[in-house]
Amino acid sequence: MKQMLVSSSLGIYALVTLYPLMWLFMSALKTNAEFYASPFGLPATWQWSNFARAWEVSGMGTAMVNSLIVTSTALVLTLLLGALAAYVLARFSFRGRSIIHLLFVLGMLIPIHSTLVPLFIMMSKMGMLNTYAALILPYTAFELPIAVFVVAAYLANIPKEMEEAALVDGSNYYGIFYRIMLPVALPALATVAILGFLRFWNDFAFALVFINSPALKTLPLSLSVFATGYATDYKLTMAALSLAALPTIVIYILFQEQVMKGMAAGAVKG
Amino acid sequence: MRSWSHQRSFIAISLTPALLLYVLFVIVPIFWSAYYGFFDWKGLGEARFIGLDNFVEALTDPVFWLSFKNNMIVVAASVFGQVPIALLLALLLKRGTWFQRFIRSAVFMPMVLSSVVIGIIWSNIYHPQTGLLNALLTAVGLEEWKHAWLSDPSIAMWMIAIPLIWNYIGPYLIMFLAALHSIPSELDDAAQLDGAVGLRKLVQITLPLIWDTLKVAIVLCISGSLKAFDLIYVMTNGGPAHATELLASYMYNSTFTVYRFGYGSAVSTLIVIISLLMVAGSQRLMRKETH
Repeated sequence: MKQMLVSSSLGIYALVTLYPLMWLFMSALKTNAEFYASPFGLPATWQWSNFARAWEVSGMGTAMVNSLIVTSTALVLTLLLGALAAYVLARFSFRGRSIIHLLFVLGMLIPIHSTLVPLFIMMSKMGMLNTYAALILPYTAFELPIAVFVVAAYLANIPKEMEEAALVDGSNYYGIFYRIMLPVALPALATVAILGFLRFWNDFAFALVFINSPALKTLPLSLSVFATGYATDYKLTMAALSLAALPTIVIYILFQEQVMKGMAAGAVKG
Repeated sequence: MRSWSHQRSFIAISLTPALLLYVLFVIVPIFWSAYYGFFDWKGLGEARFIGLDNFVEALTDPVFWLSFKNNMIVVAASVFGQVPIALLLALLLKRGTWFQRFIRSAVFMPMVLSSVVIGIIWSNIYHPQTGLLNALLTAVGLEEWKHAWLSDPSIAMWMIAIPLIWNYIGPYLIMFLAALHSIPSELDDAAQLDGAVGLRKLVQITLPLIWDTLKVAIVLCISGSLKAFDLIYVMTNGGPAHATELLASYMYNSTFTVYRFGYGSAVSTLIVIISLLMVAGSQRLMRKETH
């Protein structure tokens, strides 16, 4: 009896949590009149054409491509540079190691937004505004602390003998990194990759400040027109939001455990 | 064995790109904003050195302190909203049956959405004419409670705190679950034998054992409050009449709406100082309580 009560209140809680999303997808399939008249009901006829219209109106094709380019490049850079740095910091002892490690950890305490103004000034002097690099480089830089942190913690637990055996076999350090450390660190790298993907794909603040050319707008930036511009065309707004939310929801459903574990580790950075 | 110089060159080559990128885009900007903070500068043309004027102006501007207060409201909403809800859910979802895992996934779901998507969804939920919330109130016969939720300065900030809480419960839930699972089961059994059940067990045994995790959660709430820029920008842009202004949006508007780059830089610097002070302060506070 008590168990039943707990279970049903948990179920209701989950429903309430998910309701804004269900409402979003439901509204995306309605007409504007329906959106207004029956906000809780199912659509009378499902207006699939809303999605095509929304895709067109918001220039979502371009935005998707831009988001893909920026996200994937920043991901590759984060994983490669982060893993190399983590390997060196975790497995070698040299002068300045602890200071460099501390410097990276410190990065987790710095609020991203407080660097917007100086980064904007810096980039405008370097002529870097309105380029892919204006997003890729800061994304990578801000993700490096968490990448170094997660991967180094993982590599620190690997027995020393693995490397020594490879060295005796005549492998150099690049070989060890590529053939031993990268494969071994795969679970940690997967965590970093998922965290990075979500952060880069969803970023708004950097894109807002560093990009204003329509050809380079990323997905969240192109959506922000719906916060004002098309806000009265509810069906289109909801359809566009649904399309934009879908990729991350699919990734989440496929990689749930990694996403949750990663976020718990990444919560340190917040 | 390879030579020492070989090793040294490997270390240098591996570390330099990451370090360079990180220092250039994360560390250096902080010092630059401190430097620009001493200038009166519109972003174009001559920058004029004005000493501490920008910092003094910010610290004497009531809007700056209103933004600070709103950041504190976000902290309060997180500490007293997210932490207890996440803890309660963690206690109830400890066993991890398929049903419990489903609830866990549902609670975590908003985390993977862009804050722009979240902001626009909730703006539409709060919309005075077409919004879901007012429709709900009409449906259950509470029409007199209907409201223009985001344009009433006295409640706007609290209304924005709701999606913030909704959005970020997931990670705390996962953290608490991990902490609860690390409690050895013998301790649970011993508590049972001693007759410690329910609330008493929670307060006397469970809470002290996961205290470190709670500390981390509260520190995260505090530092996280300074990062809620996106949602504000999309939902209210700090209005009405600065009622929902946060330090980050205040900084953004001072710089990119009225083009006072020197002043915006000074505010950026103050945000870094405030967040470091708050993190240090909250950690010290927590340490004292454990003794």
